[in-house]
Amino acid sequence: MQQDSQPVNQPNPLEKIVEFVDERVGLKNIQAKMLNEPIPGGSRWAYAFGSVLLFIFILQVVTGILLMFYYVPSADHAYDSTQYIIHEVDYGWFLLSYHFWGSSAMVVMVFAHMSQVFLWGAYKKPRELVWLVGLALFGVVMGFGFTGYLLPWDQRAYWATVVGVEIMDKTPIVGDFMARFLKGGPTPGQMTLSRFFVIHVMVLPAALAGLAGLHIFLFRKAGPAGPFRGTPEEIKAKTDYFFPRQIWKDIVAMASVFLIICSLAFIEPVVLLEQATPDPGDYHPEPEWYFLFLFQLLRLKIFGGELGQFLGAIAIPGAFMAFLAALPFIDTNPERNLFKRPIALVGWIAIMAFILIFTVSAIINRDFLH
Amino acid sequence: MSNIKLGLLVAWPTFWTGFPIKMVFCLLLLAAHMHPWEGAGFFLLLLVSIPVDIWALGLCARTVFIDRLKVDSQPGIGVGLWMRWAVFSAIALPVIKIIVSEVTGVAKSTTSSIVHSFKEGLYPGLGVAEQITLELVMWGSVSTLVLILCILGWLYGLGWLTQSFVREAKSLDGTEEDRANFWDGLRIPADQPLLLTAFTGAGVVLVFVFWTLLPSTTPHPHEEYQFISKGPKEEKVEPKKVLKEAEKVLAKAELVVKKLEEEKGGESKDLKGEKTKEAGADKAQPEKKK
Repeated sequence: MQQDSQPVNQPNPLEKIVEFVDERVGLKNIQAKMLNEPIPGGSRWAYAFGSVLLFIFILQVVTGILLMFYYVPSADHAYDSTQYIIHEVDYGWFLLSYHFWGSSAMVVMVFAHMSQVFLWGAYKKPRELVWLVGLALFGVVMGFGFTGYLLPWDQRAYWATVVGVEIMDKTPIVGDFMARFLKGGPTPGQMTLSRFFVIHVMVLPAALAGLAGLHIFLFRKAGPAGPFRGTPEEIKAKTDYFFPRQIWKDIVAMASVFLIICSLAFIEPVVLLEQATPDPGDYHPEPEWYFLFLFQLLRLKIFGGELGQFLGAIAIPGAFMAFLAALPFIDTNPERNLFKRPIALVGWIAIMAFILIFTVSAIINRDFLH
Repeated sequence: MSNIKLGLLVAWPTFWTGFPIKMVFCLLLLAAHMHPWEGAGFFLLLLVSIPVDIWALGLCARTVFIDRLKVDSQPGIGVGLWMRWAVFSAIALPVIKIIVSEVTGVAKSTTSSIVHSFKEGLYPGLGVAEQITLELVMWGSVSTLVLILCILGWLYGLGWLTQSFVREAKSLDGTEEDRANFWDGLRIPADQPLLLTAFTGAGVVLVFVFWTLLPSTTPHPHEEYQFISKGPKEEKVEPKKVLKEAEKVLAKAELVVKKLEEEKGGESKDLKGEKTKEAGADKAQPEKKK
């Protein structure tokens, strides 16, 4: 006798949809690949940098799109529309301030991530390509900061761009072309703003999305670098999967960064200076804070004159970036333990000290200008 | 394990474990126009920090004990350790601040006089940028060194205070994997859906509170900015008032019309009188001419 005509384990509508998509896309395979990645040595807070960077970028895109609803990229209206966002659009001041501090957070996180990879020796074989794409991403993030800085069209924005483009002009062969292309005329004006805007909202986001995808793909292909210390037994015993512990750590790290950016937006919200004019007046041009060390370096007498400016602004930073790109091919020693790589450790400390000293010097230098 | 290492291994993760929770509270204070670093905001933050730090300290100390020292602590380590650390830090940190600021002050004035005498006596061509960097490196090195020594001393104290808890802890036998599994097992919540629901609920409430407190317009308006669109003023229509005002206007208009009519009437009379006078004069004139 049939007791129950209802079939057992009948899928509900949601399960049916998931099944439908899975059949066509391979959803469960993707999910398994994403979440079941083994992490040698177990989950760590130090592994959260990449996820945090992706999170900051997504929020920069979201806040950027919301700001674009009101921002007008024309020399006549850029300043007024930014003031309008700050003063009249509901929560506009907060969105703009979040976007502003988010860009700084992105630079800090990229820098921290690169430092971590360098100190842990994670650029070595077989992760050379991950490192190279990471360097390209660093350049894209810097480009975001540089192009976005002009958009409010106040004195600070205008003169920082003037200084930046002048530095670019000193690059041999391509410098003149790049400076003329970016300015679009003899002095920064409508063409400059249009070009910076297009690069900021179209070119760089596309480049970053593509490079970030490639970076993650190469990272997954090479596998996680894991900790640089510990016996193989210890590392094996503590091996964990991406879900749930690393996901939890990533979420907490993202939330912490989000809270810090929000707090900075409250403590130091974006306040514009006067509208941009070709006359600096009392304003002393200065780039964004993460370029201050380079700006201060160029004030030294040794870097005076055409040759000195070229050396300080282009040759030395260019040589340093070229060295970073060549690093995995120069340093072929497989040793990753930081304490067994004294040159790397001392070199990193020296570079950090140099950046810190010259950034603080630039801040102290402000008092001598007024 | 040395006192400094033990102090650092417990203090560093404790700071970061409590940090996100404290940041949530700081952000809510900022949204409510209160500064978490002064006055009532600071007091409230300190108050919230106590249970958070006790929890974080207990969790992180136990992790270090099991993972690094291969021992398991006695229950209540969070409260016990927090009380000792809090009293010690309440004395040590202000002392460190005084020492570092005093040393920095002396180092700044000394380096300034050395560099000035160097500039005046030996190398007058020293540029401003070079002078700033030179002075910064000189006094900064001394300050940094003193700061590092003070922090090491503080960490030594924290480690020393923790050692007694290590001595009281019971040792754990087994392999690395056994210890990892033991600690993993302790951290799995008894009711996971309840924990997830509580987290989600707390998150939703906090987001709601944040957006309620967040000012919709900037708390820092630009001094030269003039509001572009204030929007039309909405006035409430009260029929009785409108009718009264309309009656008043009509009454005024009636008076004006009356006055005008009166004036017109007077003018026409005057005009008639003038015309008769003029006519009389005209009649008299030919006679004069004659």
